[in-house]
Amino acid sequence: MIDFLGMPPGLWMPLAASLLLGIGCGLIGSFVVVRRMALAGDAVSHAVLPGVVAGFVLSPSRNPLVVLGLALAAGLLGMLLVRAITTTTRLKEDAALGIVLAVFFAVGISTISVYQPSGVTAFLYGQAAAVSWSDLLLMTGVTALVAAAAVVFARPLVVMSFDAGFASSLGYPVRLFERMFALMLTAVVVVAMQAVGVILVSAMLITPAAAAYLLTDRFNRMMLVAAIFGAAAGVAGTLISFAGAGLPTGPIIALVASGVFAAVFFAAPRHGVIAKWLRLRRRSARVARENYLKAVYQVLEARSFHGDGVSVREIAERRRETLEDATRGVQALVRTGEAFRTGEVGDIFLTPDGWRRAAEIVRNHRLWELYLTHQADYDADHVHDDAERIEHLLGEETVRQLERALAFPETDPHGSPIPAPERQSLGKGELR
Amino acid sequence: MNWVLDPLQSTTLLWLAATAFCVALACGLPGTFLVLRRMSLVGDAISHSVLPGIVIGFLFTGSLTSPWLLGGAALAGVGATLLIEQIHSRTRIKQDAAIGIAFTALFALGVLLLRLYASRVDLDPDCVLFGSLESAVLRERFVLGGLVVPKVFVMQAVVAAGTVLLVVFFFRVLMLTSFDAGLAASLGYRPVLAGRLLLVLVSVIVVAAFQAVGAILVIALLILPGATAYLCCVRLPAMLWLAAAHAFLSSFGGLLLAYHTNSNAAAAMVIMGGILFASAWLFGPADGVVLKKWRARQARLEPADPSGK
Amino acid sequence: MAAEIALETHDLTVTYHKRPVLYGVDIALPAGELIGVVGPNGAGKSTLIKAVMGVVPLTGGWIKVFGQPLAKALPRIGYVPQRESVDWDFPVTVMDVALMGTFGGLGLVHRPGTAERERAAAALEKVGMLPYANRQIGNLSGGQQQRVFLARALAQDSDLYLMDEPFAGVDAATEATIIALLKEMRQRGKTVLVVHHDLHTARAYFDRLVLLNMRVVACGPTAEVFTPELLQKTYGGRLTILSEMAAAAAQAEP
Repeated sequence: MIDFLGMPPGLWMPLAASLLLGIGCGLIGSFVVVRRMALAGDAVSHAVLPGVVAGFVLSPSRNPLVVLGLALAAGLLGMLLVRAITTTTRLKEDAALGIVLAVFFAVGISTISVYQPSGVTAFLYGQAAAVSWSDLLLMTGVTALVAAAAVVFARPLVVMSFDAGFASSLGYPVRLFERMFALMLTAVVVVAMQAVGVILVSAMLITPAAAAYLLTDRFNRMMLVAAIFGAAAGVAGTLISFAGAGLPTGPIIALVASGVFAAVFFAAPRHGVIAKWLRLRRRSARVARENYLKAVYQVLEARSFHGDGVSVREIAERRRETLEDATRGVQALVRTGEAFRTGEVGDIFLTPDGWRRAAEIVRNHRLWELYLTHQADYDADHVHDDAERIEHLLGEETVRQLERALAFPETDPHGSPIPAPERQSLGKGELR
Repeated sequence: MNWVLDPLQSTTLLWLAATAFCVALACGLPGTFLVLRRMSLVGDAISHSVLPGIVIGFLFTGSLTSPWLLGGAALAGVGATLLIEQIHSRTRIKQDAAIGIAFTALFALGVLLLRLYASRVDLDPDCVLFGSLESAVLRERFVLGGLVVPKVFVMQAVVAAGTVLLVVFFFRVLMLTSFDAGLAASLGYRPVLAGRLLLVLVSVIVVAAFQAVGAILVIALLILPGATAYLCCVRLPAMLWLAAAHAFLSSFGGLLLAYHTNSNAAAAMVIMGGILFASAWLFGPADGVVLKKWRARQARLEPADPSGK
Repeated sequence: MAAEIALETHDLTVTYHKRPVLYGVDIALPAGELIGVVGPNGAGKSTLIKAVMGVVPLTGGWIKVFGQPLAKALPRIGYVPQRESVDWDFPVTVMDVALMGTFGGLGLVHRPGTAERERAAAALEKVGMLPYANRQIGNLSGGQQQRVFLARALAQDSDLYLMDEPFAGVDAATEATIIALLKEMRQRGKTVLVVHHDLHTARAYFDRLVLLNMRVVACGPTAEVFTPELLQKTYGGRLTILSEMAAAAAQAEP
């Protein structure tokens, strides 16, 4: 055994094993997540146990081909039985998976208790350090094959996962691919077992891929990110377990993967919880500002646009709120450059930008009210609330469509004039 | 017959079987509703998620039979379902993956805690996988009316009795909310609340069952009785009776099997349950494969009934 | 002499997974009539029924049944679900399902007794399903399944019945039985709201129609609303702008 990158075999071999398992689980796990097969993945990972134990019992020298081959057979048999149960009885898939999962696992446990083969604990809880050279060779081969298949057949697999009927109509051999997928899944589970353990393999199948799912909208990229996350969790988990004096690698790798998921859950740029919360806050702030712009416009309109300045008290009255709230709302406008004040407690004047947005909002509101009463036959008395919501959401193109559909109207259902900001000059308070 | 009678001479075995039966009964009855509601996966998830709660509770109370342990770990189970809901509702991750993420993380935490602290307290880390019924039955006992009774049996009997009472009492609620949530709501039942309470009950039962069969095989006790009964009869009350019968046969039969093969009791129970399931799969009066083939053959041989079905 | 209003909704809005299904629905349905809800697929017809049942949450607006809020009025509502939404493998017999209709008055504890059984049996008799009382519900034809659920609704003896596509996929004999039954119920002062899929029979069967396509296109006596223009508005595709803005509003909710 030689050193690699300065690391002794006792270190780099387990790391290599964890790296391989992470890649394999990430790739296959991507399919498991998008095909909603999480429970099936869990069932397969438990169903292989009797095969593993049989391998240990029949081959005391722990020939990896025997152990892993029997594990593969057990996993495939389990999946066959699940299919048999769901097609021949009224039981649904979830019950069938649970039954196979538990009964197979029980057979494994029972055999362990009778024969007490040594080294089985490493397979149950995962012990990357127990990986031998021949194990590693086998794992490399299997992972390479699976990775190659996942990459080469990615497109048909994705199509089939998304819409099996359509895939059939394209002439894809759907049944064949499904069997191939079952084989790939079981093979990856068997390879991953050594480092992460039978009972936690499904963590590696699901969690890294789910984290990748939150980071990208393209499946190919998801597979790549999932493989990276899986590998990172595997390597980091193994290193941590070595530092922690020989704890089983399985739970630690699984917890690292969960930690990665948690980080992505919160911090993912688009789909993460924090990003969503920030977007919501920004949107509420914009809506609030637009409501104040609207209030300024309405106050001015009420006095036929005589004078350009509006006092905070008038705004507070129109919005039926306290002076403090109105002041805060107005300050927000000043901060964004949509309005300015003459001094600390002076009147508010809208800037050209503010004017335009105010007129747009009022226009949107009144156009929408007209639309609802006209084209959609809603009662005039409750369209106001809806327009309060929609006025902030109308885009320019939709506004054009509305104007056209309503034949360029000039007044809304209540008789108020509909502003046309793009047809006005941008001077303060000038209206044609 | 000696195969059956000889082992029963041992009072330890009798207590083991009786305790196992209580556990199986407590799991099998609510588990039947899990099967009907297509929630077998949730049952699996709960059984894995409560592990960290159990370990922490054990570290505090020092006993697997403490009622505080039951309550605390059941809370952990409820917490897990809340976690799943958060993942599922806040992102585009679907429910099956959300369940998988939550319970594997919690289970990994539990296994790690167990390995780290098991040596410090008197807890065998393998009890997670194998159950610890034998040691529990022999460990804490007290005298009740002249009889030496294992404490774990009393606890499991109480849980089982409580479960039976709840299922009988709330039978209609459970049936209706499992079958037709819309009608249940219109009749004034609260299907969402009923569903949540069912999960709380399952959490408590799972924690109690952990002692007997460990965390991974609980799922078998939850769904095998109901699934087997489903293949045998067409009415819900009969299904529940059959599930109870399955619990009895698998617990006693399993323990006999374990005795004769000198193997793990919990695994033997599940294997026996699996054999019963396989029998129902083939010969079950309602859905048995062999029976359906035989009926199909009969129908082909006889002329069609003109009055129609 | 104003008829009592059996069902009234105002600005009813339902979104599902950030997609709008019903938007600003206003209807007022008088009691004692047979009312049909028609519209294209995805128009929200089933959702309307489910919203009245309280099974789906409302995003906006309110519902009143016989002038009362939903929670109070629920005992007076009977529901016949879409056949495809039922779990036909559930271990219950025909009699069990009919008996469910009587559970409303029983509370949590009481078991159904002779009176309830008789009611259930009478209901089954009315739809012609009494001979099948002991059969598991999966073991029936489409028309028979529909009749079992009708029997359950009858056993409930409600004042307002909500039925989701009761005529879908049933044979002609069953259809005739059902419509005769509905007319008899109307005769006894019941109100029946039916989600219906077939325009041709809609005109013949119902006193009043609700034309629905995410919003209410029209709601009134059949003769008045069954016009080419209104039908075109209902079936001729959604108002794109309305759909888009309703979707945008749904997306903007937290």
